[in-house]
Amino acid sequence: MSGVLEKIGQTQDKWFVFLDKLESRMHEICTAAVPEIREVFEQDRDPYKRAHGHLLMGLRGQINQMRSKANEVREEKIFQFIDGITSELPGHGFFTGSHDRLYTFRIACINRHNLFEEKIAFYMSLLNNAAGEQDLEAAYQEQLQAFEAIRDQFSCKQCAGQMTIPDLFFIATYVTCPFCQTQNTFIPSTGAQMVLHQARSLAEQRTAHLLKTYEESKPKNSLLYRQYLRSMFDEWNKIVPDMAEENEKFYQRLLQDHLNSINHY
Amino acid sequence: MSENPLLTPIHGITLEDYSAACAKLGSGLSEADVAKALGIEFPVWQEVSLLWPERMKQDSTFHIVTLFGQYFGEADKNPKFSNLKAEVSAQGTTNIEKIKTDKDFYQELEVARQVAYEYGLDGAQWIADQYAISIGDFQIAASLWNGQIHQDIQADYAGYNRRQDGYKKKYEQLFAAAQGGNLADDIEF
Amino acid sequence: MNEKDKTLSYLERLKQQAVNQENYGGEIKAEEAKMEVRDCPECGAGRAFHQGLTVCAYCGFKFMDIRLTDGLYIRKQNNS
Repeated sequence: MSGVLEKIGQTQDKWFVFLDKLESRMHEICTAAVPEIREVFEQDRDPYKRAHGHLLMGLRGQINQMRSKANEVREEKIFQFIDGITSELPGHGFFTGSHDRLYTFRIACINRHNLFEEKIAFYMSLLNNAAGEQDLEAAYQEQLQAFEAIRDQFSCKQCAGQMTIPDLFFIATYVTCPFCQTQNTFIPSTGAQMVLHQARSLAEQRTAHLLKTYEESKPKNSLLYRQYLRSMFDEWNKIVPDMAEENEKFYQRLLQDHLNSINHY
Repeated sequence: MSENPLLTPIHGITLEDYSAACAKLGSGLSEADVAKALGIEFPVWQEVSLLWPERMKQDSTFHIVTLFGQYFGEADKNPKFSNLKAEVSAQGTTNIEKIKTDKDFYQELEVARQVAYEYGLDGAQWIADQYAISIGDFQIAASLWNGQIHQDIQADYAGYNRRQDGYKKKYEQLFAAAQGGNLADDIEF
Repeated sequence: MNEKDKTLSYLERLKQQAVNQENYGGEIKAEEAKMEVRDCPECGAGRAFHQGLTVCAYCGFKFMDIRLTDGLYIRKQNNS
């Protein structure tokens, strides 16, 4: 029996050392990656920040590789080892020191693995948050100013009369010449088009504190959620007032979804 | 069908036409090409392409989005786009045909695409580089095969997982090798 | 190379790949706002607001063979 106990001890040591090594590698890559992620994010000219996205995915992929590796070892070297030993021990009705040791071994290995999973969650969130939040407010204010600067600088393609663009359009649309009534087509800048795509995210940034208040409420306070949702849509509508009518229909849907979800409990 | 107000055409453009237009955009046609094929001017197209997704957002039954997926998959049959094809190489034409007729080929590439992203690559670009298949054609194939794959999973869950795992391993090895291995390859139990 | 250097060089390769690879659909070019006009290709007439967007008021050319509905900026009234 001492052979078995020794084997159990060795396996446990190996498992702990194996996870230690994975964690230390994880720490190494993630701490080195944080400033690099930030740099790539800040220098990424792409409006969708795709270079940053790919780097982040690649790093997360490597952490997931470590996770799979640990899962495979847990299956093959820990659980199968336990099964193997169990089949060698005396059967039902007997309870020996080895059973006891095997049980504590199993618990210790699982607990150690749980700690490993906690580390993964920690480093994943470190990577995810490394770049910080994109300053959508500044980008939006920049577009408002850019629009003010250009809105009077267009002339009718038919009669050359000066035209003022009435609104910060974010899609192409027709604008009527005040002199000859011709329908001109105005195509907004790429930056102005992005205002539409970023509007919800900006509204969410502006109201993040309300969502946090709701999420921290215990038990979850539905009224706080509804206050958040209304404020978020109010901000959204302020950013792109032309979308208010459509947004309101979407608001009604989300509100209904929320009410339905709480009615299930 | 026309009972549902969410299915009323927008500026005369039905959900069928809008869905097919999206598939064609994904296959490499420009917004201007698509607008022209639909017989509308660019500003009208932009409203259409803004407002159909709004309808989908408003529909809690997911009916509109389900139909969208179905029509998207049938884009090649839409007469409005029958004379309009993005330029595709001979290799691309063969592969696009294959991905729509060979389920295993589709499933393998779907896994390859996902694994590419996990190795920090643009998976859609990788598929385009390797097979000259656009994201539009890829999504058309997805909507063609989804029903059958769902049935496969129900009939033989273990077999399905085994095949998926096999593809996953294959592409993990491929992409890892290109990057000089995985970070923790040297760490053994 | 020691382990730490290996990790750093892995990170550097991943970063270079992320920054240098081509994104699907290519680079998004920042374009300025612009104004265009579409005259009737048949008779050269311009399109005035009160005549609607769909048909040329002078020669009957169909700019668009659809019925406009109430959209975001374009409304039913914009049908010719």
